[in-house]
Amino acid sequence: MLTKIKFESFTAFEKLEINFSSGINIFIGKNGTGKTHILKSLYSACDISKSKKGFAEKINDVFYPTNKQIGRLTKRSKTSNSGFVEVKRLSNGQEMSIRLSITNHTLTPDNVKVTGSTKQWLENPFESVFIPVKDMMANSPGFRSLYSTRNIHFEEVYADIIDRAFLPALKGPTDKDRIKLLEILQKSMDGKIVSKKEEFFLKNKQGELEFTLLAEGHRKLGLLWLLIQNGTLLSGSALFWDEPEANLNPSLMKSIVKILVELQRMGVQIFISTHDYVLLKEFDLAVNDKDEIIYHSLYRDEKTNNIVCSDSISFQDIFPNSIDDTFGSLIDRQVYKDMGGKDR
Amino acid sequence: MIVESDGYKIDFKDAINAIKFDETDKNKTNYHGVTALKAVDIIAEFEDKYVFVEIKKYDNPDEFDESFDIIESDTGTCHKFFSWLKNYLKYKFRDSFLYRYAENKVDRPIHYICLLNFDNALNVKLSNSLRRELPLNKPSNRWVNILSKSCNVINLKKWNELFTNWPATEI
Repeated sequence: MLTKIKFESFTAFEKLEINFSSGINIFIGKNGTGKTHILKSLYSACDISKSKKGFAEKINDVFYPTNKQIGRLTKRSKTSNSGFVEVKRLSNGQEMSIRLSITNHTLTPDNVKVTGSTKQWLENPFESVFIPVKDMMANSPGFRSLYSTRNIHFEEVYADIIDRAFLPALKGPTDKDRIKLLEILQKSMDGKIVSKKEEFFLKNKQGELEFTLLAEGHRKLGLLWLLIQNGTLLSGSALFWDEPEANLNPSLMKSIVKILVELQRMGVQIFISTHDYVLLKEFDLAVNDKDEIIYHSLYRDEKTNNIVCSDSISFQDIFPNSIDDTFGSLIDRQVYKDMGGKDR
Repeated sequence: MIVESDGYKIDFKDAINAIKFDETDKNKTNYHGVTALKAVDIIAEFEDKYVFVEIKKYDNPDEFDESFDIIESDTGTCHKFFSWLKNYLKYKFRDSFLYRYAENKVDRPIHYICLLNFDNALNVKLSNSLRRELPLNKPSNRWVNILSKSCNVINLKKWNELFTNWPATEI
């Protein structure tokens, strides 16, 4: 279970520290407040526990700075030319951390300093998934071999998600919890997913429909179906999902949120970034007192312009709430239009 | 001119008059007295307009989210909270309009403001639905007049940001 992330002069952050919920973590904030950077940093730290790849190499492949020059991930500033990201987790009662330190002169991952309980970190592997904003499932045929043999300009999260989706199903019968979740998804997308020769299909009574012909929203449900069916999302794993609302009709949000809340109850730690009111509100309506959820609101401090984070455990207390503020601005302009200026 | 109603105190500083429109005390001069008609909570009168204010305060505003229009509870009970609330606000306005027509006090544009404790997003949704059904605009070419010039659903924070001349506080 991830417990904390700490940044100093790293990508968009000057100095930032965030503690996590063991259940659901939702990041909101305007564009440019670093939501995806937090998700990518955490995912990189999780992935290496299983892939055994170097932390620096993974971060570099996931962020993909120009010319893969890792030093470019240092926050651009006049005063400092070094920075770090540190991730902390709890595993089998043991606290452990991993820290990556870079300077803006660092060219390659080999020259990066990785410190902390790195040995323990690798000795306690756990599963993690990063679902990027753009769908990759329809483009999966050939993509994996292309990615592994050619230097194509894609962040590694796109190749990773296809790899996770292609994992074969777990041995033995599917447990009750997962059957319940799969049924919710099958109902929402009217079918189940099958793969043939690196291509995915939605299979139902009408036949098999290739992913390229499937609505993007349904591809997302299909991906979630695969990850649950093949046991990637099990207790102790971590799910990172960047803007689940992209290309999803609001009517499907209820099913998505229901699944995510259930996954949390099964022991999956969840990290989501969103700009969407409906998604946020669905979480507020779906969770109960026993569920673990923290809303992390990222914003720029008015004085320093640095990114800061304000946490709340209830939807009503999210402050600042950039999503609701947008609706507030609509009301402002509507009333102004209806009733005139300040002397109304 | 301060009016107290439904747990709020509003000071209409620049109003000619402001009354608790749904007054139930028979001894008061502004006693409503027509049980067949519903009434908005407050009417404020200005030189150039009338402002109707309806206040609704809920302990749990989430119960009224439209996406849960029909609640799928464990017992199978269904409630249409959103429709109920929209109709409640709609008929309050219409009956108040009739009352004011009979008083010969519909000679200025009317603005309808509902003060609810929802968040901004839900209030935008409710405003849109209410505007359509009030109705706000002329629904037919045969209509010469409109019933209301505007209709907005807002919360207390937004009220105080928008109407600095009419500060509102919870009692």
